[in-house]
Amino acid sequence: MTASDADGSVDAARTVERPDGGTVESDEETEAVVETPLGPLVARLWPYRVPIGLFALVVFLRPVVAHPWFLGFEQIATTMLVWMLFVAAWNLLFGFTGLLSFGHAMFFGFGMYGVAIAMSRLDLPFLVGAVGGVVLAAVVGTLLGRLIVEKGEIYFAMLTLAVGQAVYFMVNRDPYGLTGGSNGLTGTTLPPWIETFRGEKTLTLLPEFANDFYYLVAAVFLLCMLALWQLLRSPFGQTLIAIRENEPLARAMGVDTTRYKIAAFTASSALAAVAGVLLELNDGAASLATFDVLTSGDAVLMAILGGVNYFFGPITGVFVWFGAEDYLTDFTLLQLPLAEYPLVTLDVSGILQFWRFGLGAIFVLVVLLSPKDGVYGLLRTGITRAYHRARGADE
Amino acid sequence: MSVGTSRLAATLTDASPASLAGGVAALALLSLAAVTQPGLFVDNAIGGLVYGMQLVMVALGLALILGLMGVVNFAHGALFMLGAYFSYQVVGAWGLPFWVALVVVPLAVGVVGVVMEMTVLRPLYGQQPVIGLLATFGLTLMAEEATRSVWGAAPLSFSVPPALATSTDLGVTQVGTFRLFAVAVSALAVLAVYLLITRSEFGLTVRAGVQDGEMTEFLGANLPIRFTAMFFLGAAIAGLGGVLRGAEFGMGLSMAQQFVILAFVVVVVGGVGSLFGSVIAGVLIAEAQFLTPTVLSSLAMVTGVEAIAVPGVRGIVPYVVMIVVLLVRPRGLFGEEGFLE
Repeated sequence: MTASDADGSVDAARTVERPDGGTVESDEETEAVVETPLGPLVARLWPYRVPIGLFALVVFLRPVVAHPWFLGFEQIATTMLVWMLFVAAWNLLFGFTGLLSFGHAMFFGFGMYGVAIAMSRLDLPFLVGAVGGVVLAAVVGTLLGRLIVEKGEIYFAMLTLAVGQAVYFMVNRDPYGLTGGSNGLTGTTLPPWIETFRGEKTLTLLPEFANDFYYLVAAVFLLCMLALWQLLRSPFGQTLIAIRENEPLARAMGVDTTRYKIAAFTASSALAAVAGVLLELNDGAASLATFDVLTSGDAVLMAILGGVNYFFGPITGVFVWFGAEDYLTDFTLLQLPLAEYPLVTLDVSGILQFWRFGLGAIFVLVVLLSPKDGVYGLLRTGITRAYHRARGADE
Repeated sequence: MSVGTSRLAATLTDASPASLAGGVAALALLSLAAVTQPGLFVDNAIGGLVYGMQLVMVALGLALILGLMGVVNFAHGALFMLGAYFSYQVVGAWGLPFWVALVVVPLAVGVVGVVMEMTVLRPLYGQQPVIGLLATFGLTLMAEEATRSVWGAAPLSFSVPPALATSTDLGVTQVGTFRLFAVAVSALAVLAVYLLITRSEFGLTVRAGVQDGEMTEFLGANLPIRFTAMFFLGAAIAGLGGVLRGAEFGMGLSMAQQFVILAFVVVVVGGVGSLFGSVIAGVLIAEAQFLTPTVLSSLAMVTGVEAIAVPGVRGIVPYVVMIVVLLVRPRGLFGEEGFLE
């Protein structure tokens, strides 16, 4: 068994050497899988490693972040899941189609404001608002895609950014009193089946089955991510990867690349809007900051940090980002080597307040050294190498 | 600028009847506004010119580096922001005269730009433009955090010298002298850079180096140094724009991203690869931004329909202009075909 094939999305590109320095995936390696002691079971489960990984992520994420050694509180796990979905949706465009969108906050915001406007301004049921927001995102994604998808990568990036800014201004202007301007929408923005008790959200939807808000988010997250996984390993997804790798070649082979890119943009927008719906439920409010260019920028940073060519890359990136943010800003004193036996004690509260500087520096380094791999890619390469070394020692 | 005017003439002759009709309609609306509210009109026209020249100063650097090195320098807005904060440090904190800041700050920002170019951007020449965009995006984040750690997140400002703090009478309205001064300084700087690139031997070798780097080096031009000098120039002019902006409106952390986005809109509308286009588009967009509210309010006054005067329409104007221009002329007003596409 080799970990070098842990990425479901590049399955069909097995014998292709990727020009960005990725691994050469060959059939011999997968055949070797069956010969290991754990072989039959692992080999049978191997095609389903992405769903299994996603399920494990959902199960273990909250206990891990809630552990006192790490962040120590549970709520952030829900936020992480929402962002993981959003960044993964963004990465469908950049990591798998090769389109850099700097305006994805727009679609995130459509989902969020769709629910909030429907519930607090129009007195419509939650589902109408949620579906409306997602449909609006998909429609805008399609139309915008038709307009700009063929403009060249830099033009595409800057045009998404500019359209995102235009939408930000419109929302800020509070058209017809719908969006609440810079105050956002608060108050009656939660459906009646969500109850808040001391900041803990509970569901009264199916009381005997699950009353934990986290599981609702986890269920939607799992559904969407599985849909994304299916999308990526389908012929459609493989075509997207072909477009990313070599667009002229894909076109020469008869692929209508424009249509595929528009479809990818639509799917990505809709998924981002779903994440926005979840964020609205999580925050209980819709805020203008969601539409800000900084939100799009954060998504870009998180995905690149995690590794854009891997299915689990954005997930890793969000985990590292939120982990770093809360873990680092928690410190006021750095005590080395251990809190119980401090030899060196530093007051770091003043420096760590500016943790984004360090993150920006790491980001620049990642982009300069290996822009497609990120933390997940580095980890995977390291683990593969260690595994091969260990197995070599065994034999 | 015979090259520029002939290009302008060429653009006008192959413009479609629809865009010509649009131009005539825009002129009619503008003259309507000028007749009904002359004071407000001149006020906004000068405001647009001031803002437009600042925009041009950022966009020119962006266009230089994009057109010459093929790197999308998202950090250019950060250089502009640094110009404003440096001038605050010189004038507001150290109490030196404004004139010192006007000379020293662009040089300092130019040095920051050179450091940026040598450490981060040099490995990116010849790579995919997206990689450059991402790396400089990270640089912007770093610059903003560094600025926040030094000067704090609150908006700052300093006062302009008393000689410029007065106002000048223009007949229909009073205009702050500093705004006229800012227009004059930025027009001079833009003209100097434009002439340097298009007329001097330095500009010629750099442009030759972009066409065929190997051959230009065979002919004895030290290209890396020239590229670095070009970067210094782009950064310094952005820094100068920052000084003027900071003196007039004060400075905040959001100006980096805000201006670089608008500057890119300007470059796209003007046409990537054309400095002349960037200058024209910068002034055009800023004037559109400032005059649209006036035009709409005059229209509302004449027709009696209050709903026409949408409040806050200014923020959305550049993006509307860009989308319209790109739909009519995908490569921008004066762009070269096939550049970065």
